[in-house]
Amino acid sequence: MLYREALNNAIDEMMAADESVVILGEDVGRYGGSYRVSEGLFAKYGAKRVIDTPIAELSIVGNAIGMAIAGLRPIAEIMTVNFSLLALDQIINHAAKFRYMSGGKMTIPLTIRMPGGVSKQLAAQHSESYETIYTAIPGLIVLAASNATYAYYGLKAAIALNDPVIFLEHELLYPMEMEFKPQENFDPFKAEIVKEGKDLTIITYLKMRYDVLQAIPTIEQTLNITVEVVDLNSLRPLDMSTITQSIQKTKRVAIVEEDHKTGGYGAEVIARISEELFYELDAPPLRIAGQDVPIPYNRTLELASIPTPKKIAQKIIQWGRENGL
Amino acid sequence: MDYKIVMPVLSDTMQKGKLIRWRVHEGDIVHKGDVIAEVESDKAIMEVQTFQDGIVKKLLVKEGEEVPIQTPIAIIETDTNKKEALKPQQPQTSISPKEEPSTVPPVIQELLTTSPHPLPQGEASAAAKKRAAELGIDIQKLQSQKQLPTPAHLHDIEEIALKRYFTPKALKLLQDYNIDPKTFRTNHKITAQEIMNYIKEHNIPYSVPLSANRKAVIQTVEYAAKKPIYFVFETFVLKKVPNYKITAILLKKLGDVMQKHPLTRAKLEQEYLKIYPHSNISVAVAKGEELYMVVCKNIEEKSLEEINIWLQEIKDKTYIPQDLLGSTFGISNLGMFGIERFSAMINKDDVGIAAFGALKDNTIAVTFTFDHRILNGLDAAKFIQDCKKAFQGEENV
Repeated sequence: MLYREALNNAIDEMMAADESVVILGEDVGRYGGSYRVSEGLFAKYGAKRVIDTPIAELSIVGNAIGMAIAGLRPIAEIMTVNFSLLALDQIINHAAKFRYMSGGKMTIPLTIRMPGGVSKQLAAQHSESYETIYTAIPGLIVLAASNATYAYYGLKAAIALNDPVIFLEHELLYPMEMEFKPQENFDPFKAEIVKEGKDLTIITYLKMRYDVLQAIPTIEQTLNITVEVVDLNSLRPLDMSTITQSIQKTKRVAIVEEDHKTGGYGAEVIARISEELFYELDAPPLRIAGQDVPIPYNRTLELASIPTPKKIAQKIIQWGRENGL
Repeated sequence: MDYKIVMPVLSDTMQKGKLIRWRVHEGDIVHKGDVIAEVESDKAIMEVQTFQDGIVKKLLVKEGEEVPIQTPIAIIETDTNKKEALKPQQPQTSISPKEEPSTVPPVIQELLTTSPHPLPQGEASAAAKKRAAELGIDIQKLQSQKQLPTPAHLHDIEEIALKRYFTPKALKLLQDYNIDPKTFRTNHKITAQEIMNYIKEHNIPYSVPLSANRKAVIQTVEYAAKKPIYFVFETFVLKKVPNYKITAILLKKLGDVMQKHPLTRAKLEQEYLKIYPHSNISVAVAKGEELYMVVCKNIEEKSLEEINIWLQEIKDKTYIPQDLLGSTFGISNLGMFGIERFSAMINKDDVGIAAFGALKDNTIAVTFTFDHRILNGLDAAKFIQDCKKAFQGEENV
């Protein structure tokens, strides 16, 4: 199943099951969505429930919040996280806070979908990762879908939640063919053990999951170890229980993220691990992240600015050797 | 120029090879064709040659180590004028307590050698300190006595703990029998005797890893067991010839008869039967614990004398892949053990195999196993008839 098909199925099923579910955003209707996620929905549900909006992110989210207060379950699509900066006041000051400021009288069952991360040569203004901003906001739930299974179940869960969810996607994942694993008792807040291992835990999310998996054979063979890979899925709340169980077993942890290193989301994860699992650690935690530069347009420089399978393998092998692996 | 010698692909099923022995040292001058190492494939121990002249710059794999095929195992400097480039083969100041495994892909190796990262200062990891505290181990003291590396990690502390509670012989037993040390209460020093008692009490097996040769044999016989085969039981007349091995006589007689029966020189390959001109017979040769099917080639052109010498020499040889390839028929002889009659498994893609028992009153029992896809009962009967005649006749002996 294609990743974008998984998202489409999730929205379609939720819209079919519940008339209050609506979708709005730039080109989501007649055009079928910039990444074809809402393909076919306009024809099926019509202009009242699949709403094309002007190019005005603040108004997309503002309108969606209004709909949510009034009893709908809106799904707002922002074309990329980079453009969501224009909607920050609505997201942070309104969506995230209304439930608290109304003493629980108002809920905002709103899902804001947006892709982030480095695609191919979209340059600095279209290549950012802003999970670090959204995970810092109390009142928001932040989910990151790296695969078709989580895209489907995670998005359905997000739409069903009564609180605002930032649903992060990745531009390079949309056309990817992925395995779909039917789930029972799906928990959107649970991290996934992608691969079991006993000597090192690599924590990752979104597209870096695939880069990590590509680097694993070299790492395992070179260091003669087995590596456990944890895909976070939910960035806020963070599934510390899965992380804890893994690190208690492996005693070593590395996080691989596409975001810039300084202030990146990995810093938060490592801080939590250092606070809660310090005496479990047999090596200093390792952060593999993007360079602290606006993402370059030039393809060579673009790849130089973010982790790649080769760089991930090199860094982990070197770190492993220096730390007794 | 660096010329990299890689772990060779010695058979189509080979995934990894074990370096048994280096025949050269770093700094040695080598010439094209020189044997530089012995490696063990999934089938046999074989020799690795260099295909260029030069000086051995670096041996990348340790003896006994197993690496995937195509992994570089040695670097030969082919520019012999660049003496200085070769000389400074000083041992790298290894800051890591562990030796660098040599299975590192070239890309990774480059990076690691170019940017040595200083080790973090400190005595031990958090986990190591916690465990040391539980065990009452003084990390600083042991580090000053060089019994612990700096920084110490969890496995270093566990190792100290094991040495404290188990005698060296006891540790060896734990390893050999794959027993978790946590099975024993560590409130006193545990001896080998105590562990042996535990082993007997619980009937714990001693695990012998399968050798590459044994794995290959398993693969071959499993493959053979799937073939549509049938047996033919016969007794041939055979007179022992002084100074000649019985196997030599058997090879010569069968090899000559094979010339008259093209299908015994055939291999089944997809839509074709490929009939080879020479009589090449694989012979089961025991070498220590291991069994090899070594191929005696062009038997029809060889004299009995030559085959006898070949059989002598093959016993002590280190085999190269060619020694074990190219047969279409096989012989197994257990006569020297007094076995009267037995049947054998067909080797690889051979047409059949003749299993010979002990020579008794100038007769020898033979059991043929044939692959029915290549040789049917009628063909086999004709072949055996000719064999019988050849054994009765005196002309070839």
